[in-house]
Amino acid sequence: MSQETRASDTAGILAHVPDRQLAAHSLDHLMELSPEMRGGAILEADAVLAATGDEPGWGDSAAALLAAADADGESAEQVHVATEAGEVFVLREGSLTAVAVTERFVLASLMAFDMRATLRDLAAGGPATDRAAPGAN
Amino acid sequence: MPKPHRVVLDRVSGYADEAAAFMRRRRHVRRPFARVYRANGSSVDHGAESETGTALLAAAGRLLELAATKVER
Repeated sequence: MSQETRASDTAGILAHVPDRQLAAHSLDHLMELSPEMRGGAILEADAVLAATGDEPGWGDSAAALLAAADADGESAEQVHVATEAGEVFVLREGSLTAVAVTERFVLASLMAFDMRATLRDLAAGGPATDRAAPGAN
Repeated sequence: MPKPHRVVLDRVSGYADEAAAFMRRRRHVRRPFARVYRANGSSVDHGAESETGTALLAAAGRLLELAATKVER
């Protein structure tokens, strides 16, 4: 492996680690994209980066839900639970996890798309709308 | 020509059938479910009566409560 390749790999590993402010901004952006969302959270591993209320509560409940989803030994990528009171979506993308609580009968594929896009944008440095376009200025 | 009371009876039973079908559909779509998607593209449905389904629905219930008690950040 050449030094250049090694350097680019290291840069990739150390690339962007989302901070809490950025995560809060991404969560706000997700809620703007999905008006049927009642609340949500963004986690990195087990740590809550942003939530719409009681952060420890969101972390514990999301961890419980993912533990149940992973119970058969295989890691879940996405979980969708619908109850009479509303719907819950949990989606993993790399080390990040998004949790969304929505109204009933929301379009699941659209919700998952928005959540995945939000996490990818966050991993890349925040909502795409906030990043300057190449060649701007 | 049918007798007038026949017309009324047919209409009432027609409405009752419609209402029953609506309630059946409503029960069906309101049934809780939990679906887990894997990275390989497969998905598994967990019924509310299964152990995993119960755990998923309980955790989802707590998240729904948290969303209901949202505070301004």
